Amino acid sequence: MLYRGEHAFDFPAMWKKGLAVSGALVAISLVALGVGGLNLGIEFEGGTSWEVEAPGASVADARAALTGTGAESGKIQTVGTDSIRVRADTDQAADVVEISARLAEFAGVDPNDVSVTSVGPSWGDQITGKARNALLWFFAIVAVYIAIRLEWKMAAGALVAVAHDIVISVGVYAVFRFEVTPATVIAFLTIMGYSLYDTIVVYDKVREVGGRLTVTGRYTYTEMMNLALNQVLMRSINTSITSVLPVLSMLVIGSFFLGALTLQEFAIALLIGIVVGTYSSIFVASALVAWMKEREEEHRLVAEKVAADNDSDGGTRRVLDDDVALAGIPAKRSPSATRPVRGQAAQRSDRANRTQQSARPGQPPKPRKKKKR
Amino acid sequence: MRQQVVYAVGIAAIAIAGIAYTLASGNEPLLGLDLQGGASVVLEPEPLPDGREITDELLDQAVDIIRNRVDGLGVREPEVTRQGQTILVQIPGVDDQQRAIELVGQTAELRFRPVLAQATQQDEIEYNTAAAVLDSDEGDAAVRAQAQAVVDRWALTPEASADEPSVLLQKDSDAFTNRFRLGPVPLVIDQGSVPGQRLTGETLESAAARFTVQGWYVAPTFKAGSPGIDDFNALARECNAGFASCPGLRIAIEIDGRIESAPTVGVAQFERDQIQITGAFTEEEAKDLALALNFGALPLELTPQESRIVSSTLGEDALDAGLVAGLIGVVLVSVYLVAYYRYLGIVAILSLVISGALLWTIVAWLGESQGLALTLAGVTGLIVSIGVSVDSNVVYFEHLKEDVKGGRTLRSAVERAFPVAYSTIVKADVASLIAAVVLYWLTVGQVRGFALFLGLATVLDLIATYFFMGPAIRIMAVRQSTFATKPSRFGIPRAMVTPEGGAS
Repeated sequence: MLYRGEHAFDFPAMWKKGLAVSGALVAISLVALGVGGLNLGIEFEGGTSWEVEAPGASVADARAALTGTGAESGKIQTVGTDSIRVRADTDQAADVVEISARLAEFAGVDPNDVSVTSVGPSWGDQITGKARNALLWFFAIVAVYIAIRLEWKMAAGALVAVAHDIVISVGVYAVFRFEVTPATVIAFLTIMGYSLYDTIVVYDKVREVGGRLTVTGRYTYTEMMNLALNQVLMRSINTSITSVLPVLSMLVIGSFFLGALTLQEFAIALLIGIVVGTYSSIFVASALVAWMKEREEEHRLVAEKVAADNDSDGGTRRVLDDDVALAGIPAKRSPSATRPVRGQAAQRSDRANRTQQSARPGQPPKPRKKKKR
Repeated sequence: MRQQVVYAVGIAAIAIAGIAYTLASGNEPLLGLDLQGGASVVLEPEPLPDGREITDELLDQAVDIIRNRVDGLGVREPEVTRQGQTILVQIPGVDDQQRAIELVGQTAELRFRPVLAQATQQDEIEYNTAAAVLDSDEGDAAVRAQAQAVVDRWALTPEASADEPSVLLQKDSDAFTNRFRLGPVPLVIDQGSVPGQRLTGETLESAAARFTVQGWYVAPTFKAGSPGIDDFNALARECNAGFASCPGLRIAIEIDGRIESAPTVGVAQFERDQIQITGAFTEEEAKDLALALNFGALPLELTPQESRIVSSTLGEDALDAGLVAGLIGVVLVSVYLVAYYRYLGIVAILSLVISGALLWTIVAWLGESQGLALTLAGVTGLIVSIGVSVDSNVVYFEHLKEDVKGGRTLRSAVERAFPVAYSTIVKADVASLIAAVVLYWLTVGQVRGFALFLGLATVLDLIATYFFMGPAIRIMAVRQSTFATKPSRFGIPRAMVTPEGGAS
């Protein structure tokens, strides 16, 4: 059904629910960030972490082996099936060497087989500062770019959608207390890129459809938006699937390999990001633009006219106040209306575009309600 | 049409040529330390005590000094690079990695030492003879022991400490006669401020390279009193007169175990700002020496900000995981594409293969010629880019289906949909490129590596889409009559298609 592109969803009808879902997710994320904050890795806080292959070793044994080094009170965990990871606040070379030696002895390996990462206390601030700076520049440049190539309302919508995706992705890390490492930051940046990419593809379709249909003066912006979203839906689904497949493979494969912890962490963040990124293009970015565009003089007049036509049409009413424009559907519609609610916009464009509607098999001719207009 | 064939065949040929070149020249992607094991450390200079700016020259000097030290470790392909205001040292597969990290972070000190003797040509002959004896199997034990003693006597001192009574150090070139035997660094006269302080760069104020009709010379300026010019003069007096403590009549200027210069002392007493170090200096040599002296006057204290030791087993495991995950990911995506888009899916896979081949060529070339390493972050970036590259195909195919549904014939849909789809792809890809460029310019380390690979993959996606995927589909639409008769083979449901010529 989807494959044939015959089904048309009424996305604007879902925007309201989407708004509620997004609002809830963003609120949860912000609360989690505000209350618990992020579980930052040593790269941001300073300190040292050790990792050594020690099949069958328990955390308690490792802790006992490190007694007296100061690391026994640190965070000790098993990684994968047979690896021990220790984290401590020190970055003093002498402590680091001592603990490496103890761990090597404990695991029965050469000290050179202990992986060590040591980070100074102020380093993370610098890195984070640079990343923040880069992010601001990126947002500014991309906003200008979208404003030029598409339009400024879309730039605003895209940035809100990207911010929405980043907040939710980071929120997942805050809620589940996943450790934030440089790999996670890279994953967040990837999400940002993906989300933006996806939003632009959707917007471009909206602009294309809008360019074709606005001149007719018969369709509200929301209706045109819905048509575009339906047209771009399969693209969005397919792209999400082909993007998620490698990431899933990373997630699953990562659990079989010792050194692939970074890979797994990366995969979790990306998985969330891709799903949220696809969702937000359709439910956040589009809803926002539709809401802003409906307030433009040109589109507002059309909306009024369409509403009036519907009124005179008998049975159906379309009340386009602010609330409805945001939700994007006629708020009150007589249940007895013969007009199908679903696929309304798509159907209209069919009529506008094609001459051979009846040639399409599997779809009975629809009553044409508004011939007189 | 002909142009389309040229494009598609041309880009495929370039991709094949790239792979052939990579294989023939033996280029391989350079693996980052997190994938092959080794030590890396980011060093950051502490602010200078008197609030002076840390200039690029000072940092470059520090990089040179560290490079000498790392070379001394005798490891394969060490990398010492400046990244903005920090220095990144990467040492693959060192045996004693912790020691290596400590060594590179030590502060380089400039020292003045009296010259005891300089190796002569006579010494060189003696040394070579002794070395030859040791190399051959001849000679009885006594002779061999004697030869060993000679060789040992001329071995360079590996880590010369300031108070060692006699060290053997090398000056610039590897010539044997540039080996100097040096005495200990003299203590300064005024031991009040720092007990045990010696005649180091701290007595210096600055230095400059100057030019006269006689040629280039270097003019160091000492601080007044002690520690300062008084201490230098004390050493100068001994060397000028050829005391037992300085029979070589020269003062050696040593930085970090290498002799920068060993001038003969012409007078016994110097004014602190009237000293000239002359020689047959070229402009560059004079400037280098002045820079070394300046560095000695204000040695950069480098603090390790981030040090990382990855055991080789861990690194290999991460690499394997990345490769297997990437491979499985590509297979899954391929299966999906073929299942959904049939022949079009095959074109998408070929397009992916072509951009992958070009990417491999570039990454291998960058690794070989620019020393650019592929890190785990880079690998993950590439895995992710699979999805985005496929999207370019999906966008086009869906446009195609939409147009067919809208009543176009397949052929006309192919012609019409590509420019529209490509314009969308360009818009979206440019946004990705902006992200890549901004991140590359404004960040450091792993994020930077990620940005580079993201940018590369994006550009290659645009190229593969424009030169391969688009033309290939057009060729198929024209050549393959099945395109019209059996649209389902192209992932287009028959029900959707208007019969040929049916559209108005």
